[in-house]
Amino acid sequence: MPAFVLVVGILYYCIGETGYLSTLDWDGTSPTPTSVGLGNYEQILQDPIFWQAIWHTVIFFIVTFTAQTAIGFVFAALLHSKVKLGTLYKVIVFTPVVIAPATMAPVFRQMFAADGQLNWTLDHIGLGFLSQPWLAQSSTAMPVIMFITVWNFTGLTFVLYYAAMGQIDPETLEAARTDGASNIRTLVSIVWPGVRGTTVALGMLSVIGALKTFDVPYLVTIGGPNYATEFLGTYIYRISIPSAHVGYGAALSIMLLILALVGAIAVAVRANRKDSETGV
Amino acid sequence: MFEARRLPAKLILQLIVTLMIVPYLFPLIVMVQGSLAGEGVGNYRAVFEVGAIGTFFKSSVIISASTILIVYVLTMLAAFGFSKLHIRRKEIYFWMILAALTLPEVVLLTPLFATTLALGVYDTYWAVVLPLAALQIPFTVLIARRFVDGVPDALFDAARIDGAGTFTAFRYIVLPMTRPIAAAIVVLTLIGSWNAYLLPLVLIQDPAQQTVTLLPQFFVSQFSNDQTKVLASAVITAIPEIVAYLCLQGLFERGLSAGAIK
Repeated sequence: MPAFVLVVGILYYCIGETGYLSTLDWDGTSPTPTSVGLGNYEQILQDPIFWQAIWHTVIFFIVTFTAQTAIGFVFAALLHSKVKLGTLYKVIVFTPVVIAPATMAPVFRQMFAADGQLNWTLDHIGLGFLSQPWLAQSSTAMPVIMFITVWNFTGLTFVLYYAAMGQIDPETLEAARTDGASNIRTLVSIVWPGVRGTTVALGMLSVIGALKTFDVPYLVTIGGPNYATEFLGTYIYRISIPSAHVGYGAALSIMLLILALVGAIAVAVRANRKDSETGV
Repeated sequence: MFEARRLPAKLILQLIVTLMIVPYLFPLIVMVQGSLAGEGVGNYRAVFEVGAIGTFFKSSVIISASTILIVYVLTMLAAFGFSKLHIRRKEIYFWMILAALTLPEVVLLTPLFATTLALGVYDTYWAVVLPLAALQIPFTVLIARRFVDGVPDALFDAARIDGAGTFTAFRYIVLPMTRPIAAAIVVLTLIGSWNAYLLPLVLIQDPAQQTVTLLPQFFVSQFSNDQTKVLASAVITAIPEIVAYLCLQGLFERGLSAGAIK
């Protein structure tokens, strides 16, 4: 079982070491770390940035999950409706999925800059009053991070919904139409329940994804301005590597790990209960 | 899904799709247009003249290829073992692997940093390849096991009666029959390892071994914030990925969906 050795070896060894480190007050290089027991955890519970990061993660998850699901679903429905140039639209929506967030980061920094293309476009279509330094103010930095994430992942939700919709029995749709159901009505009452499995899977991915968020906020806003886009991932990185509070970073890591496990289990349990209620 | 029989309705649908696509296209246009601002094609020439692009690409190719190879071999062995072999308490082991699905890589940073230093592999490809493979395997084992579960037991019984050992059965039954899911595993791992940012950032210092995801930052320092050249380097990095996707469109979409549908 070499796979088992690799996964359990590396990953669990690291978790174990993180757990041990989390009880230390250590800068990563000094030969004599001091043990502080659970002191780091007590400090976390009183750390305003930690709670802020959690709060950001929750909002971030709700907004991006809703937006991705809604847009991906509508796109899939529209492209199942014999529109022209369907493949072209599909390629455009899916392309962001394969480009590394790290590659796109400078593009987004440029686009949302005070003299960037977004403000330029707004000025030229008569919406100049909306233009602002998007990344430099706390109120707009977070929505920008959310936009980038949605931009990045809608392709995936779209492809999944597109595949799932292809499996809905056309006769059911036909029957609904014959009974006089409108387009919207069919979509809500037949198609949406028909792809519920996909929605649950995406929900699970989004919870884990939101907790793992690092690349985009780190590269586009560095967690700023004024911690407005600080996530657990960026906070742990900043604490552990540049500030070298290895022990505290490790304790934060353990908290993140617990949250990720609890989050995934919560979604799975809720999905199961709903399945048994509706008898699916 | 929507039914539009008459022309105006069709036009409206088309219009909605087009409006919805604009936000997705906009950043891509900004990227290309920004890279051509100022000196035009000269930006690209300047980027190529630095000569670093080749080494960054080489590192990414090496890292992705090794990760894919390790993930593929180990996933197949594990899927076969979990699905068809009698191993004591294998379900417990399986759940231990699945629990690792939720693991954020940032949690692993410090211990990995310390471990790679202690083992002397810090600043080598191994420091990135092994953790990347380890993070990818829980996912691929999950989907591959479900696939191998679908291979009828009768085939293995027949092979055993004909005198085939476990390894022969693996070689001549499992590997050929799992080709569809193998494609998905390769695509998933390719995207995961090619786009990896955090691990190479922390675990590789030597510019000769850094990956393409670190390229924009390299150019930020190289051209002291000349945005047009940084964007040109972003375009150059993105093009191979887009070309790969366009050539293997179906494979990419199927591969990623296989990863998400349970």
